[in-house]
Amino acid sequence: MRCNGVNMANATPEDLTPDDLREMYRLMLLGRRFSERAMELAEAGRLPTGLHPSAGQEAVGVGACYGLRDTDWIMPSLRTTEAYWTRGVTLLQMMNAIMANSGSISMGKESFHHCGYPELGIISGPAIVAAQIPMTVGAALGMRMKGTDGVGVCFFGDGATARGDFHEGLNLAALLKAPVVFICENNLYFQTVPTEIGLPIENVADRAASYGLPGTIVDGQDVIAVYEATREGVRRARQGEGPSLVECKTYRFFRHHSTLRETRSLDEVARWKQRDPLTIMAGSLKDQGILDDATIAKTDRRIGEELDAAVEESMATPGPDAREAFTHVYAEPIEAMNI
Amino acid sequence: MRTLQVREALREALRQELEADPSVFVFGEDVAGYGGLDAVTAGLQKEFGPERVFDTPIAESGMAGLAVGAAMMGMRPVVEMQFTGLITVALDQIANSAAKARYVHQGGLTVPMVVRTINFGKGNAYVAQALEAWVAHVPGLKVVAPSTPADSKGLMIASIRDPDPVVFVEHVSLYGREGPVPEEPYTVPLGKASVTRQGSDVTVVTYLSNVPIAEEAADELAAESISVEVVDLRTLVPFDRETVLSSVSKTGRLVVAHEAVRRAGFGAEIVAVVTESEAFRDLKAPVVRVANEGVPVPHSHHLYPHVLPDKDDVIAGIRRALD
Repeated sequence: MRCNGVNMANATPEDLTPDDLREMYRLMLLGRRFSERAMELAEAGRLPTGLHPSAGQEAVGVGACYGLRDTDWIMPSLRTTEAYWTRGVTLLQMMNAIMANSGSISMGKESFHHCGYPELGIISGPAIVAAQIPMTVGAALGMRMKGTDGVGVCFFGDGATARGDFHEGLNLAALLKAPVVFICENNLYFQTVPTEIGLPIENVADRAASYGLPGTIVDGQDVIAVYEATREGVRRARQGEGPSLVECKTYRFFRHHSTLRETRSLDEVARWKQRDPLTIMAGSLKDQGILDDATIAKTDRRIGEELDAAVEESMATPGPDAREAFTHVYAEPIEAMNI
Repeated sequence: MRTLQVREALREALRQELEADPSVFVFGEDVAGYGGLDAVTAGLQKEFGPERVFDTPIAESGMAGLAVGAAMMGMRPVVEMQFTGLITVALDQIANSAAKARYVHQGGLTVPMVVRTINFGKGNAYVAQALEAWVAHVPGLKVVAPSTPADSKGLMIASIRDPDPVVFVEHVSLYGREGPVPEEPYTVPLGKASVTRQGSDVTVVTYLSNVPIAEEAADELAAESISVEVVDLRTLVPFDRETVLSSVSKTGRLVVAHEAVRRAGFGAEIVAVVTESEAFRDLKAPVVRVANEGVPVPHSHHLYPHVLPDKDDVIAGIRRALD
């Protein structure tokens, strides 16, 4: 398994109560059930869009966002769905965004994985992979210039590390000591091709050294490991010590996109499913007497009910008025451009 | 009123906005320590400190992305692209991240940033590009291209205060242009053209570096009793439809002049606006576009004058429109 040699969390961190831990598990389970249901609906042709399901990578978004403050800002990648849940986006909001209906936060202007939720500190990540890296550095700088102690957390996949904006963003962040944490979700594939096609070294984290930044490799299947590594990065950033890079070795359990075919070996997928972040966390919490099967079943049932209701309501919600296509291009109506 | 050069007027605008609004900051390549290659930002770092006026590495995409993120947090960044060819490197962040942010966030996040981009006119095929049509094409961007010191100051202040991303086009050949500039801070509203020569026989619609060229042409033709009206657009987006159309209706003849390549240049848009309007019925002759014929700008001083529109080209264009 390629995740050998990564840092495993030693024990439950002291700053997380049993309630926190159960909540983190719930968020991951919610993410898993959402991925499964959305894929089911997509394959049945019931969604107006495809999706990049996050199943298998739930620990990254939950672990990285759980310790953040409301005043921090994040930019998710297209697969960081768990960052949305952890920041407080509801299943209904997400389903509305998927259905691109009048309940969508963007009023149907953007697909669900590019939607921002400013009130929850989520900036929409553009479809240009890695563009969010310098943007988050700018947001972090902006927060500092505004006199807040807010931190920017930027998510990107291994694929983003091949783009110039990865280099420019990390370089600028280091030079400006911007309060930002870079979270690389290395799921070992650039879309359909293995990371080796675009990454000539084994670890993205090793690249941090060239900017004089700390680069940490964590087991991205271990939510506590992700939480602790991010917490350290956020602490550094908040105290003015500058940016850092956390590489989470992870794996997606579904295809890159619902409309694309699987390109990985079934063996490899099966091996990685042995390292399911939910199983790992459940095992640990059960050992500590914090969680039991009955509680898991009850949580799962509640999520199922909420998901049923969200799917039903979102599918019954009408689309946005046609006029919505023409709003919010500028502060002024587009007619004011006179051209 | 005292006289300033365009570069001094721009510097005064930046200084007054840095002074008035703590969210304004200025950055780019060589803008702080050196003060900008053409001294537009000279002395600003000394006055406002390295937090608010700073140099960056050569990283135009990163710089533009930085501006977008900071603007989303309520800052008002002014970032310089040292020459307009570099805007091609930053175009993702400008045309995607900046331009679409308000739209995809349904107004919940906005990007009040200014991208200063400097047309060199000459130099070589890379630096001497006029790409204003590229950005004018993108929904979400505003495009400003002033020619006088007073407009440079007023439009820079207006652009910094504007709630949307503005691409502010400057031209090296204009930096030394002098004119009266009020001392106090003021704005020139975006989307208002200026008629810099009143005339009755033909309208020349132009902007940026071709404004003084068109004015010289107008002055020269005045000796032949040809009355040329020169419209300095000042802003491409938003566009001053009313001033352009009423001038064309008055003169019945239209010449459009710009340094950029003719095909799909901004002049094509100006002509299209006229042909779609009632002013079309007032045209007495085909319109004429004076522009780069469609070649990269060559380096040699023996060659580039043949590529860039000059006074004689504008005069020839006016004569064609009067034929």
